[in-house]
Amino acid sequence: MRLPRLNGQVSPLLPIALAPMGLVTVFILVIVWVSFQTGTLGTAHSTYTLENYRDVLGDSEIYGVVWNTLWFACSTVFFALIIGLPIAWLTERTTIPGKPAIYVIMTLGLLIPGIFVAMGWTFIAHPRIGFINRWLVDLLALDDGPINIATPLGMGFVQGLNLAPLAFILTTQMFRAMNPMLEEAARTAGMSAAATLRRVTLPLAGPAILAAVIYIFIVGIATFDVPAVIGLGNRVYLFSTYLFTLTFPEDMEPRYGITGAVGVLMILVALALTAWYGRVLQKGNRYQVITGKGYRPKMLDLGGWNWAAWAMIGFYAVLSKLVPIALVGFIAFAPYVAPPSLEMWEQLSLNNFYNVNWELVWRGMKHTLILMLVVPVLALVCAFAISWLVVRTRSRGRYALEFGAFLPHTVPELLFAIGALLVALFVLKDYVPLYGTVWLIALVYLVTRLPFATRALNGALLQIHKELEEAAYVSGLTMLRANRRVLLPLLRPTLMSVWIWTALLVYREVTVAVFLATESNITLTAVVWSYWAAAGMTEASVVTTLMILFFSPLLLLFWIFGRRSALAEQ
Amino acid sequence: MISIRKLEKIFDSARGPVRAVGGIDLEVAQGEFMVLLGPSGCGKTTTLRCVAGLERPEGGSIEIDGELVDSAAGGAYVPPERRDIGMVFQSYAVWPHLNVFQNVVLPLTEGQRRIPRSEVRERALEALRLVRLDGLEERPVTDLSGGQQQRVALARAVVTRPKVLLMDEPLSNLDARLRDQMRDELRRIAESVNVTSLYVTHDQAEALSLGDRVCVMNEGEILQLATPKEVYSEPPNLFVARFVGEMNFLPARVVDAGRVESGLGTIKCAVPPGCAPGAAVTLGIRPEHIGIAMGESPAGMRGQVLRQTYLGDALHCQVQVGEVELTVKAVGDAEYGRGDTVAISLPEKNWHVFPET
Repeated sequence: MRLPRLNGQVSPLLPIALAPMGLVTVFILVIVWVSFQTGTLGTAHSTYTLENYRDVLGDSEIYGVVWNTLWFACSTVFFALIIGLPIAWLTERTTIPGKPAIYVIMTLGLLIPGIFVAMGWTFIAHPRIGFINRWLVDLLALDDGPINIATPLGMGFVQGLNLAPLAFILTTQMFRAMNPMLEEAARTAGMSAAATLRRVTLPLAGPAILAAVIYIFIVGIATFDVPAVIGLGNRVYLFSTYLFTLTFPEDMEPRYGITGAVGVLMILVALALTAWYGRVLQKGNRYQVITGKGYRPKMLDLGGWNWAAWAMIGFYAVLSKLVPIALVGFIAFAPYVAPPSLEMWEQLSLNNFYNVNWELVWRGMKHTLILMLVVPVLALVCAFAISWLVVRTRSRGRYALEFGAFLPHTVPELLFAIGALLVALFVLKDYVPLYGTVWLIALVYLVTRLPFATRALNGALLQIHKELEEAAYVSGLTMLRANRRVLLPLLRPTLMSVWIWTALLVYREVTVAVFLATESNITLTAVVWSYWAAAGMTEASVVTTLMILFFSPLLLLFWIFGRRSALAEQ
Repeated sequence: MISIRKLEKIFDSARGPVRAVGGIDLEVAQGEFMVLLGPSGCGKTTTLRCVAGLERPEGGSIEIDGELVDSAAGGAYVPPERRDIGMVFQSYAVWPHLNVFQNVVLPLTEGQRRIPRSEVRERALEALRLVRLDGLEERPVTDLSGGQQQRVALARAVVTRPKVLLMDEPLSNLDARLRDQMRDELRRIAESVNVTSLYVTHDQAEALSLGDRVCVMNEGEILQLATPKEVYSEPPNLFVARFVGEMNFLPARVVDAGRVESGLGTIKCAVPPGCAPGAAVTLGIRPEHIGIAMGESPAGMRGQVLRQTYLGDALHCQVQVGEVELTVKAVGDAEYGRGDTVAISLPEKNWHVFPET
């Protein structure tokens, strides 16, 4: 294989591009390696064995976990699409007013941490403490609350609310790209509206919708935050939370071999789904080629239905963000978890704020801040190297780079977190003291944020004609100067928006942080989690409220600098 | 000034390696305007990019002004920024984040061939005057028309006073009238700065009008290297004859050194040496060389007009002569209608004979 070359030399960008690939490979391989061992890992006391797999597959509990996970992932897909798809259609294909506002709502939906929403929904519909249940019990004189959010279906509903914006973004592009002329051609060819829908519209939309389904399903099977917040306390386990209890058991030594074996099973599932996803995407792209450009989609006039459409969108916003977060805010000031009422209103106080360990919060904030400063820069540098090699060179090695950068898009971050944990514990422990440092978290964040950054930069670089750079070279500018004076200024809008978007996602990230956090590298979200897991719901609510307050100015920054391209690339 | 020897370039493609340039030799003299002409994929742009240093050849060597700038065997390589060249790209490639003046100044202030700060402004204005853009210095380039953007690109290419000016289809994105105008200007500018030019195009009219010499290429090989007049009047093979100008072709068989047998009967023409009697050849004659007159004439052949295309300055007639259909170009106000009987004359000296390959 020829390496990507420019003017006969191996590009100096290559090592930078390969570094994150190396991380991905190591994180995955170490899980496989650990899964075949028992005993004290990393010492002479460990032996190679298949015992872990026998234990996992022989444990009847795992089948319940698999069943729960499937149930959860399917309901996540269902709720995400049933909300996201119609809103996507409304924004792209109708004359609904206030389209920018819809984008605002959906983007916020992507950025507000799912863990907060899950906390809110625990307050709403938990079988014991959920307000709706309490009201219903009082009202109907029942023994138990009739609604249980702590089931795979209930958690899938909450995660569906969280991922509806993702479904929205994955399918708006399809609606935008689909050429209405194809439908009009069917109508002029004598097909009825129903036949057009069946024979033209749906087959054309099919691959994009299927791709969205697969992608959300992959995200679903690896979701940690929602099932952890709602399910763990009620002993409802999914793949992710099961892995968590295996890795951090309360009453015995962790058996990392078992963690590894479950991880390997998950990797296999993820890779199979990734392959399928890739093939579906390819098919979808083929359809897009047919559509061509230079058309103006005809918008459907909703007329009197505008208010109904907005009512639906508003209802979604209230249900998924407003009510849960308002409740978290309420609990932050309440003496204990209880439904909002006049009586409770009078008892609100700042007492909870005195119970919070501020030293811990301060530490978490410091680490979160470091990560928000470091990770976007690292991700941009690596993504630039990869994109440049992929877009600007003709080596066949670029396909491998492109695939490597795409992989973390579908391989769950949870697995990278476990891989990083195992690497730090058993591979690097004697050489590089990474365990318990914020840098370990940074490396995993880098890997997981890479696909988005790379794709955004790929798109931007494709837009910048290669001859603009070449014109700089023949004008006598060295490569360094050409990059500084020509390429970087042209890339600046994309770089800015990717930087801010990445920083915001780092701020909200919880899964990796929870798996890798110790006393010495805890992040803000991990602080929220640690309070919640220790049944400190009011303290968790206090920190969450603070996080949302800090969040607002960041969002404003995002709005000013680059929502456009971030939305377009996602 | 430019000397290319045994230049060979191979690209990797999905279907295996492709030989874009197949070992060509080319010498361009000081001050000469050399045009590389050929269809897309013939290797002309690749050759140009090798001279610029934007591509590295797999074989051969390139010298600019006596300096070896690239040698596949010897390992010598001078990167583009160190070569004494200016280049104009097909996409103009003016930097959209800079204004007109900044575009032209950047090579002088940031390039390897930079000049003292105090002279920069004067030199840039001189280049802008040359391309007649003076007065537009502060305009963002994105506000300019295509033709003006191309002028900026040209000013940027000559502002460092390079020894060699490379142009990659610079006019192909302009509309027809502007293209004619810019063609004349290009020639004027190249002459006034006395630069050696290498110019790539697929447009034969551009090639014939601009070049001191024209190098016709196909599939990575040079098919003809000659003056524009020679290229038009003495194409050495069928490909060049087809590619440059229009020509009628008909299959024929050699009778002897001065005659061939074809669908038009026995035709007197100069048969190239090496074509034995009985060998299959292709006859060619250009539409404007065929004489046409109303009615019948004892000297010519009899033909019938099948259809005609009015071009303003000329009339293209499809004429049926025996079993052969010929395109005839009649200049002036000739008026031939469908079904008219015409006399056709085919001058002996205007026939081209191409051996079958």
